[in-house]
Amino acid sequence: MRDVVTAYPPLVRSATLVAATYRGRVALSLLTGFFPLLLMGVWLTIVAEGGPPKGWTTGDFLSYYAAATLLWNLSGDHVVWQWDADMRSGDLSVRLLRPVHPFHQYATNDLGHRLIFLTVLVPALVLAALLVPGLDYPVGPVRLAAVAAALVLAYAVSLLMASTFALIGFWSTQTSNAWLLWWGLGSFASGWVAPLALMPDWLRSVAVVLPFRTAMGFPVELLMGRLDARETAYGFAVGLGWLAAFAVLYRVIWRHGVRRYQAVAG
Amino acid sequence: MIEVRDLAKHFRVHRRPPGLRASLRSLVRREHVTVRAVEQVSFTIPAGQVVGFLGPNGAGKTTTLKCLTGLLHPTAGDVRVLGHTPHRREPAFLRRISLVMGQRNALFWDLPAADAFEVNRAIYGLAEAPYRSALDELVTLLDLEPLLTKQVRVLSLGERMRCELAGALLHRPDVLFLDEPTLGLDVNGQAAVRTFLRDYNARYGATVLLTSHYMGDVTALARRVLVIDHGTLRFDGDLAALVEAHSPHRLVRVTLREAVPAQTWVGLGEVSEVDGAVVTLAVPRAETAAVAARLLTTLPVEDVAIEDPPVEDIIRAVFAHA
Repeated sequence: MRDVVTAYPPLVRSATLVAATYRGRVALSLLTGFFPLLLMGVWLTIVAEGGPPKGWTTGDFLSYYAAATLLWNLSGDHVVWQWDADMRSGDLSVRLLRPVHPFHQYATNDLGHRLIFLTVLVPALVLAALLVPGLDYPVGPVRLAAVAAALVLAYAVSLLMASTFALIGFWSTQTSNAWLLWWGLGSFASGWVAPLALMPDWLRSVAVVLPFRTAMGFPVELLMGRLDARETAYGFAVGLGWLAAFAVLYRVIWRHGVRRYQAVAG
Repeated sequence: MIEVRDLAKHFRVHRRPPGLRASLRSLVRREHVTVRAVEQVSFTIPAGQVVGFLGPNGAGKTTTLKCLTGLLHPTAGDVRVLGHTPHRREPAFLRRISLVMGQRNALFWDLPAADAFEVNRAIYGLAEAPYRSALDELVTLLDLEPLLTKQVRVLSLGERMRCELAGALLHRPDVLFLDEPTLGLDVNGQAAVRTFLRDYNARYGATVLLTSHYMGDVTALARRVLVIDHGTLRFDGDLAALVEAHSPHRLVRVTLREAVPAQTWVGLGEVSEVDGAVVTLAVPRAETAAVAARLLTTLPVEDVAIEDPPVEDIIRAVFAHA
């Protein structure tokens, strides 16, 4: 395990170097990183035309989707595409031959790419929080620490969920399409399409026990000060539970799946 | 070092005839066939030996190599490499082997090779001193200095392969698997890679299992060869023994000072080629010396050379016979 931990910094560094290689790619990725603001625009129009839904004001939506932008860029689900491409092309062979499990190679690759965008987004968000009227995060040191922990948990759960899902590739060539379906359904339960507070009660009660909220809505709601101590503890418990569940699931599926790997080409 | 007993690897693959109708039918009814890529293959390779693995396309060479490196789980049989079961892919095992695939890029396509080597250092947990020493040595032997700061994707095939070799050997593996390491390289590139591999084997006593379609790779590096065809092992032994067993003739190449009548060669051997004043005779091995002596004493000979037929021809004969 110590070897894996030691390998993380240089692997993340190399991924950051790769991510920073092409200026055009960096610029385009930064642009797509602001997609959540489009949804914010939709909700702001709704508020302007129909009044605040369930009491959610313009400031609430500004705060919600500005924070959601951070989570959007802190999602580990991009690994699905990389796993899928490597399994289909046989490039997974190169990773399997290294004495560091492929999971860590994909994770560090993703982290390295995230870092590039976060170095731009985080200062932009901090500036926006200070300068944009209505955008408000009532954070103290304790809540800030809790939010930091929730962000780490969000990334870990989304990464592990996506990696577990990617292992379908050992049985099917349709991982990416299946993931799109899964992600599409999850986007309602995560708080991405709309804050869960605006969703029907039945969906909200289901969403709070699903992993999608851990990866998006939970840290945002925490940052906005909308969760009390009990709800915060519950959110962490659900997230940690899913983290453990995906870790077990990943190991079991990996053990069976890797036996089927055909190492095509080369 | 490498022990393989009754190795078998079968693949279940989807098959459908070409055309729209077959394509639509396969949506509801899939047909699968079992491909027996490797069947009952057994061999042992002691430490430090260089072995050539020969066979036509689809013979099972690469599949065997992938089983030995742990990429594939065998369907049946036992494989042990360095005391490990490869498909368990224990880090302690992976740190002691390397697989170089001529068709696959193991470096970072968008980074200079120097950055990729640093990543390998981290992945293999190499301390600074041994890493630096290995890198310096590889840079010198493979003449990598001008390449280190170039993006891998802009390197020529030969340059990339030299970098691939360096990346694969930084951790000084005890067992080196080479799958078509000179594929697509020009003559100079092939020679450079062969020389380097011979030196590496001599210097570190590494065990090398090499597949190549270039017989030059095999004859330059390996004395022992394994010949596989249709998934089963056809020959395991010295390259010289293979040549002797499958080529009852040697080639006597005669350079004449002046032309001689065609019937001169009757009784001496079978004329296999005439190129101006150079005539090549296929002569039974046992009679080679006597025929050469007769040629020298009875004909206006400028030069006589005796050689084995090209190994490619012999291998072709082995496969044809199989």
